[in-house]
Formats: sequence, C-alpha cells, structure tokens
Amino acid sequence: MSTAALAVDGLVKAFGDVRALDGVTATVSAPATGLLGANGAGKSTLMKVALGLLAPDAGSVAVLGLDAARDRHQIRARVGYMPEHSCLPTDMSAQDLCIHLARLRGLPRRDALRRASEVLFAVGLEEERHRPVSTYSLGMAQRTKLAQALVHGPDLVVLDEPTSGLDPAGRHEMLRILRHLSRDLGIQVLVSSHVLDDIERTCDEVVVLSSGRVTAQQAVTATASGGPVALQVSGDPRAFVARLHEHRLPAALDGSRILLPSSEPALLTRVRDLAADTGTGIMSLVDASHALEDAVVGAMA
Amino acid sequence: MTGGTTEGTTGGTLADLPEPAARLYDVRYSRYQGAHEPRWRSVLALARSSAGRALGLRRTAGAKVWPFFLLACVYLPVIAVVGIPLLFDGAPDPLDILSYQQLLGLLTLVIVAFTATTLPSLLTRERRDRVLSLYFSTALSRTEYVVGKLLAAVTLTSLVTLGPLLALFAGTILTAEAPLDLLRSEGGDLPAVVLGGVVVALYFAALGLLAGSLTAKRVFAVGGLLAALLVTPVLSGLAFGLSGRRDLLVIDLSQVPQRAAGTLLPGQAFEPNPPDAALVWAVWALVLLATSLVMTLVYRNRDSA
Repeated sequence: MSTAALAVDGLVKAFGDVRALDGVTATVSAPATGLLGANGAGKSTLMKVALGLLAPDAGSVAVLGLDAARDRHQIRARVGYMPEHSCLPTDMSAQDLCIHLARLRGLPRRDALRRASEVLFAVGLEEERHRPVSTYSLGMAQRTKLAQALVHGPDLVVLDEPTSGLDPAGRHEMLRILRHLSRDLGIQVLVSSHVLDDIERTCDEVVVLSSGRVTAQQAVTATASGGPVALQVSGDPRAFVARLHEHRLPAALDGSRILLPSSEPALLTRVRDLAADTGTGIMSLVDASHALEDAVVGAMA
Repeated sequence: MTGGTTEGTTGGTLADLPEPAARLYDVRYSRYQGAHEPRWRSVLALARSSAGRALGLRRTAGAKVWPFFLLACVYLPVIAVVGIPLLFDGAPDPLDILSYQQLLGLLTLVIVAFTATTLPSLLTRERRDRVLSLYFSTALSRTEYVVGKLLAAVTLTSLVTLGPLLALFAGTILTAEAPLDLLRSEGGDLPAVVLGGVVVALYFAALGLLAGSLTAKRVFAVGGLLAALLVTPVLSGLAFGLSGRRDLLVIDLSQVPQRAAGTLLPGQAFEPNPPDAALVWAVWALVLLATSLVMTLVYRNRDSA
C-alpha cells in the first residue's frame, strides 16, 4: 500500500473565536482525493496547515509519511501547491516563473529550463509562455499556477479550488489535466472544491468538511451495487452512444454524459473494450444513483 | 535525429552512421529524477533573480532606464578622474583629484535615489502580488527568503558604493606610470577600501529593506525612505545651526555610512570636522539592528503568508 498523502489527527486551528479546524482526523491515500465543503468549511486551512503555512493549535499532520512540523524541508521537495488566490508575479512570464521556482526548489539551471518547457507544454501554455502573466486570462493564470506546482516533479500536488472562476471550457480542460496527473503520471492529488461534479470527475475519494470537521469520507467510484453509472468520454459522446447501440449495449445520452443502466462487470468490460477499439478515452465513470450526492449533501448539511 | 531502423538501405548498421547533428527530446511531462542542488544554491538563485528584476532585467525596456541611468551616474565621476591623467600629461593622480571619502560624499544623492527607488521593490512587489505563499509552501523557508533578499539588496547597493570605490582603486593603479610599483605601495589600502564600501552598502541595503518590509505598497516605501533620507539632512543642519553641536549632524541619515566609512578609508576626508566617530557607528549599527528586528517580526509569523 502506498504512503498516505495526508494523515491528520485531532487537528485544531482557530482564528480568534472561529475554529476553522475543529479536531479533524482523516487519512488520505487515494491517487486523487477531493476535499469538499462549503465556503468556510476549513478546506483551505487544512491545506495550509499541511503545507506548514499555518501552525496548528493542536493535533498532528503527516504529509507523505513525513511530520509536517519537523520535516518541512523534505515535504517541500516532494509537494507542489497551487493556491486559490492570485499569487503570480505580474511582471514575469510563465516560463520565467517556472524556471525561477524550479531553481528555488533546488533544480539545476539546465533541468529547470527543461522542466519549465515540459510542464508548460503539459498544461497547454507552450505558445504563450513568454508573455507577461499580467496579460493572461484567468484560465491561463490558473494553468500557470498549476505548472509551477508541477515543475519540480512532486509526489503530491495540493490544489486549492483549481477551477475557481474558470469558464466551462477552461474548467473542462483543468479537470482533464487533473485527472491526467493521478491516472497517467502517478502523482497523488489533493484537490479542494465546493462543486461535487468537479470531485466526481477527477477524484477517487472524497472527504467532506463541514464547520471544520470531517463529516464524511468515501470512494467516488461506481459502487458494486450494480446500480446506474455515468460515463464521460473524450471526443463526441453521441457517436460513442451510437457505437454502443450498434453492439446492443444499453446506453443513453444525458448532456455530455453517457448513462449506463447498471454497473455489472460484464457490461463495463464490454464498454471498456469498445472504447479501446474505437480509440475513445474514458474520462470518468461515476455512480449515477446519486448515492454519493445524497451522502455529501447530508454530510454538508 | 535519433531512432530509425537498425539497418540502412546500403546494409550498414547504426554504428556506421555519423554522429547525429541534432537530438530530439520528448518534452511531454515526466517525473523529475535528477539531483537537487544544496539549499544555498536556491538562496543564491533568489538573490540573483531579485537583483536582476530590481534592475529591470528580463522586464520591459522602460523598467531598465532608471536604474541603469543611476548606475551610469555613479561611475561618471570615476571615469572622469581616471581619464584626466590619460588625456593630460602632468595631470595629478586620480586619488589626488578625488579621494575615496570625497567620492562617497559626492555620490550621496545618487546612492539615496538608487536605494529609495530600487530596493523597496525587492520586498513590496512580492507582497503586492501575494507570491510569498508560493515561496513558503514548497520553495523556500522564511529564513532563506530573508537571506536571499539581503544578499540581493547588498549586491545592488554594492554596485553604487563598493563598485565606484574599486573602480577608482583599479583606475588609479592602471593609469599610473608604474602600475606594479603603485600596486605594491598602495595595495595595502584595498582591504580598507572594500570594507568601507561594504559598510556603506550594508547600511543602504538595510534602509531599503526596512522600508520595503513595512508596507506592501512600493509608493509608500519609496516616499517614506526618500522623506527620511532627504528631510533628516535639513533637520540636522537646523539642529547644528541652532545649537552649534557637531554631534547633532548624525541625525542626517543619508551621511551616516559615509562618515562611518570615513574612519576606515585612506586619503582626504570629505568634511573637515565630522561628528564623533563612536556616535556615527552607533547610529549605523542601530539602523542595521532595527532592520533585523523589523524583518524578523514581519517574516517570522507563519500566518502572514
């Protein structure tokens, strides 16, 4: 079993009379975990405490098996962080910023240059990388923030509301990149959001925070109950539904999602094989029985 | 390029092919497997980047104009006094025209302008853009950040303090009729020249960082620093005029380091009756101490990022 990305025990952090974290205890070890909660639930505070940006009032935090208070240097080398707020130096280009932060994280100059090109290519900023950040759209600024979090090759990336303020196209692209990180590149992802759909599309597990407490923690994947599931694919979902029908597989289009009436292994295997045969990428397969949504709504209430 | 078949059309193998003229790299994202440099290299990288940005490097052309204009201004007097013996036979030596102390006194206004307009932005720009949370989360510790900024500030102020002194020293040696003889006789002054330049550089670096650490707005930092450095000479003049006490001249914050360096530098003094040296050094140390305290208070707080 891999090391837990984050393990917190009895974590307390107060700002004056407000207890932002009120005895949080959780272990996060899935490839991609979503921190879900309303504004003010404590998501950002939990991330900042884990990164050592805030000192906890009580409790313990371990990041990648390392003590957050004692082993900050090792943690810094293995973690990337994308803050929610605007934090980019406006007079630098994305290229210069990534090189600069890679150098600060200990990469030799030649490696920093190469890595900056790699990450900017990975987040789709290769064409605009020499422009000053002040000229970027919000989506480009978000991708720059993500690129700097990845430039040193972290084992864990902590992303605070990465889709905040993005238009639908930008949000879709950001979610696609996030899924790519955990699924294809083996980077553990801890992402906060107050949108359940974002978490469903990018994460394997969800931790629900409410008023500074963990109120639920469960898997996002389709349940073994055999209930309905929702599929998201790359390319044209309408064409893929048509191919499913050609093979007498039951499916229905629901917006950009494809609904399958059950999650029986035989059906899912045939869908997977057909996707492979047609060169269609499966972006997400989630429970469509609303069990997760019901659980989250209940936990956030 | 790399790759290809193992056998060419003529039946040769890859080993028979000439060395590739170019190499293709896969630029898709991959996990970094390379080595990490020691932390002090990161601190140096921060200092180099910060100093470069303050000078407008890798920024727009307009951002370079002012700092490089001031840099040109500080070296003009040196170029002039070093050039005179080259142009006119029988002209006095550069150090006879302008001593180290006189040079520092002459440059005071330019040093003040450079310090006030260039140094505070080392800190204010990153606080304005809220970059510190990026740095402190995964890149640097707060101590490394402060050390890096201090190095950048001292490097910048050295360009306008130590740099002209060394240029005058080197120019004097190189334009002498017997450079080696002069180096042997005057070379012993070099440590004092370096020390004097460092004393002035440290002081103005500290003042610049002090102003920059007190506010996130550059305009306030620049205004406050200029006020401190331009108003105190007037106040000290008034206080001296009214009381006749020379010790009150130490109120002039723009001249403190030049007077302190004057106790170290060889050659003619830039003022006939300076204030008490111990008092001057006390004010110099006080400014450095105040900067250390303020920066510690501002940057030690983990919740401030």
